[in-house]
Amino acid sequence: MERAVPLAVPLGQAEVFQALQRLHMTIFSQSVSPCGKFLAAGNNYGQIAVFSLSAALSSEAKEESKKPVVTFQAHDGPVYSMVSTDRHLLSAGDGEVKAWLWVEMLKKGCKELWCHQPPYRTSLEVPEINALLLIPKENSLLLAGGDCQLHVMDLETGTFTRALRGHTDYIHCLALRERSPEVLSGGEDGAVRLWDLRNSKEVQTIEVYKHEECSRPHNGRWIGCLATDSDWMVCGGGPALTLWHLRSSTPTTIFPMRAPQKHVTFYQDLILSAGQGCCVNQWQLSGELKAQVPGSSPGLLSLSLNQQPTAPECKVLTAAGNSCRVDVFTNLGYRAFSLSF
Amino acid sequence: MSSESSKKRKPKVIRSDGAPTEGKRNRSDTEQEGKYYSEEAEVDLRDPGRDYELYKYTCQELQRLMAEIQDLKSRGGKDVAIEIEERRIQSCVHFMTLKKLNRLAHIRLKKGRDQTHEAKQKVDAYHLQLQNLLYEVMHLQKEITKCLEFKSKHEEIDLVSLEEFYKEAPPEISKAEVTMGDPHQQTLARLDWELEQRKRLAEKYRECLSNKEKILKEIEVKKEYLSSLQPRLNSIMQASLPVQEYLFMPFDQAHKQYETARHLPPPLYVLFVQATAYGQACDKTLSVAIEGSVDEAKALFKPPEDSQDDESDSDAEEEQTTKRRRPTLGVQLDDKRKEMLKRHPLSVMLDLKCKDDSVLHLTFYYLMNLNIMTVKAKVTTATELITPISAGDLLSPDSVLSCLYPGDHGKKTPNPANQYQFDKVGILTLRDYVLDLGHPYLWVQKLGGLHFPKEQPQHTVIADHSLSASHMETTMKLLKTRVQSRLALHKQFASLEHGIVPVTSDCQYLFPAKVVSRLVKWVTIAHEDYMELHFTKDIVEAGLAGDTNLYYMALIERGTAKLQAAVVLNPGYSSIPPVFQLCLNWKGEKTNSNDDNIRAMESEVNVCYKELCGPWPSHQLLTNQLQRLCVLLDVYLETESHDDSVEGPKEFPQEKMCLRLFRGPSRMKPFKYNHPQGFFSHR
Repeated sequence: MERAVPLAVPLGQAEVFQALQRLHMTIFSQSVSPCGKFLAAGNNYGQIAVFSLSAALSSEAKEESKKPVVTFQAHDGPVYSMVSTDRHLLSAGDGEVKAWLWVEMLKKGCKELWCHQPPYRTSLEVPEINALLLIPKENSLLLAGGDCQLHVMDLETGTFTRALRGHTDYIHCLALRERSPEVLSGGEDGAVRLWDLRNSKEVQTIEVYKHEECSRPHNGRWIGCLATDSDWMVCGGGPALTLWHLRSSTPTTIFPMRAPQKHVTFYQDLILSAGQGCCVNQWQLSGELKAQVPGSSPGLLSLSLNQQPTAPECKVLTAAGNSCRVDVFTNLGYRAFSLSF
Repeated sequence: MSSESSKKRKPKVIRSDGAPTEGKRNRSDTEQEGKYYSEEAEVDLRDPGRDYELYKYTCQELQRLMAEIQDLKSRGGKDVAIEIEERRIQSCVHFMTLKKLNRLAHIRLKKGRDQTHEAKQKVDAYHLQLQNLLYEVMHLQKEITKCLEFKSKHEEIDLVSLEEFYKEAPPEISKAEVTMGDPHQQTLARLDWELEQRKRLAEKYRECLSNKEKILKEIEVKKEYLSSLQPRLNSIMQASLPVQEYLFMPFDQAHKQYETARHLPPPLYVLFVQATAYGQACDKTLSVAIEGSVDEAKALFKPPEDSQDDESDSDAEEEQTTKRRRPTLGVQLDDKRKEMLKRHPLSVMLDLKCKDDSVLHLTFYYLMNLNIMTVKAKVTTATELITPISAGDLLSPDSVLSCLYPGDHGKKTPNPANQYQFDKVGILTLRDYVLDLGHPYLWVQKLGGLHFPKEQPQHTVIADHSLSASHMETTMKLLKTRVQSRLALHKQFASLEHGIVPVTSDCQYLFPAKVVSRLVKWVTIAHEDYMELHFTKDIVEAGLAGDTNLYYMALIERGTAKLQAAVVLNPGYSSIPPVFQLCLNWKGEKTNSNDDNIRAMESEVNVCYKELCGPWPSHQLLTNQLQRLCVLLDVYLETESHDDSVEGPKEFPQEKMCLRLFRGPSRMKPFKYNHPQGFFSHR
């Protein structure tokens, strides 16, 4: 089969370097703006790019609409995690969390509002922050990452109030159980731990790899992604993607996905997951694969559903991962287009 | 008288008409015989008026007599006849009178005529005399005017003015006393003085002429002497050549070069001048020479008559040949093509010497009909190079100068006007002829001062010195770095083919002391093969794998793990880094599409290449990248988490010091080596 060969553009040193950078870019995190019209994406070079979803989705969208409105260097290291409050974007990567004002970000040359570093025990290496979680009732932010602890930071004062210890290896992901309120964390040590925020104690531990039906030793035991829906929890990673009933700590459904999943989320009555492999998988709660929609990246690391009520026209699913592109799914059935760094 | 005449007439009365005439004749005879009767004298005596009356009377009488006769005749009778006879006699007498009168009238007339004639003749004679005199008068007048107008030659001579004359002339000539009064004498004196002066000047003139002759002869002698000097000087110059060379002052050579340079076409001339200037000013390692036949160059500018003769000759020849054998269309086209691609007989050779005594020989040609310059390159080294198999293309004349500037592949003609010329003779592209003609790189055109702007194509492009000068330094530096980097690669390839990654001592700090993975294979692969590999799709789609690049395959092994690395070497190495794409075969096939860590390894060599550049001029980049790949493979294999379900120890025990094995959402391995602490961490 003839492969279409693009014309080799006369490339000087700068162009070659830029092309190589784009080839090796990984987008780790995404976050939707409070108004719902913009999407921020953070990559492994520490850059954050803001895309205008409304422009890209409009009928007069041109190629430039799929490029970022603004790109700036946010961190020295990769931006592993981002969340948005109603006015701020919080981004975290190599050991520190920074806040940016959404309205300021759209202008060039914006500076962070504040930058805080949780108190780390080790000093040899700055641990990364893999997950951020907003707890709206307490107006605080939960950080978890390389130092195996969950740090709680008060958003108003910026002080770190508590640290929840228990994991034996670094923490990959966090999820909030609204009702209790409890926080779930999954880590490299293969355990999903539930924490009670009021008394900062570990309430429950589920060691996924110990359950034979879902463990996959050749992939490892690490828990890469977590999502919870009050009584239910779905987690994946090294072990297979499994739906758990929390009170009984039993796996109810195992989703037959061979590739390790890096992101999972509940959506309406479906479970969406993505990971190694270029597809976004849609699962029924019974464990059936409803659809597998291919994206443009060879592996996906984050999914983002834009459910902001202020921008219903921008209600899309965006997926990003091992490339410089963010796939936009207007309809869960197919990939509409891709935004690109 | 009348009776005599009437007597004589009587016998003749019958014939009344002829009688008077006979009578006149007879009378003239009588005149001659006897009496001299001059009727002419009688004329003078008679009065013409009375004669006229007599005539009138006679006529009347005759009329009367005739009338009476008629009456008598009509009456008739006897005495009529006597009466008639009487009247007849009377009429005869009257007739005689009439005749006399007639004669007298005639005589008078004749006399009158004679007199008139005489008078007329006299008048004519006087008239003639008058005319003669008038004529003489006129003649004399003319002579007088002529004499008066006569300019004597002496008046044409510009004589010196009077004052001067009296001043300068010696007194025996000027004779002032005489001449003052007499203008004639004065003029004579002046003329004398004029003559005197002229004689003197003529003398001087002759003297000067003879002087001049003498001097001319002297000049001749000296010229001969000088011309005999010329060959001697030449021989001295020849003899001094060795001395020049000894002292490194090759004036003679330079002079000869400039002589030949005059015959160069303009772009080559610009190149020659600029390169020589640059060589003298900035770079002693650059040497410039002109090669080729000057006679052929001169022959290009033959005078038109010769070429016309040639045309007619060749036409005649062509006719003959067409009769004998028609050259095929292909042969004609071939000839036309050869004509179009003809090179100027002279070429400029540049030799760039590099630090390690290797030399880059560049020969620049000028294609006359296409108005572009081409270059052929050759690299010679101080020591004989054994070319490793994979290094075949590195120094080949075809590709050593490819893409000196990004995109300048030298396979297409830079002059847009050439395309129309090519269409006429069926040449598709210059690419087919570059091996023979040399490469028409854009920088070559710039060095020759030729600029072909794309926006406004110009009709004729002339060579421009400033364009050449502005590009000379950069281009020379690029050429040198290119040769040196290629030679460095050459050496490195020789080592790589033997499985040794040559890491220089000043780059050792980039790697840990112990590297277990080994390079086992290093080969070239073709462009098409590279494109067919399944793990190189991203590079191809990004447009980084053009046909001007060189492609290689490296194989790194450790134990059962085999790492294939496909390398894209850009001609602009080492400012443009080589690009690696990896495929690991160990417990399955892992590439950047299914293993994030392979992707991270690629990123370590492709994106973070600047750390691996080493000291300027960063020839160590490729070997450092290969060494780093070996290190990365070591880390990858050693940090692979142990699969609990599988029995047995790990194939690769961890020997590297790592702070953490995994980090981040994609669980990256610690690929970054920290010197001098010697441990591995994450970026």
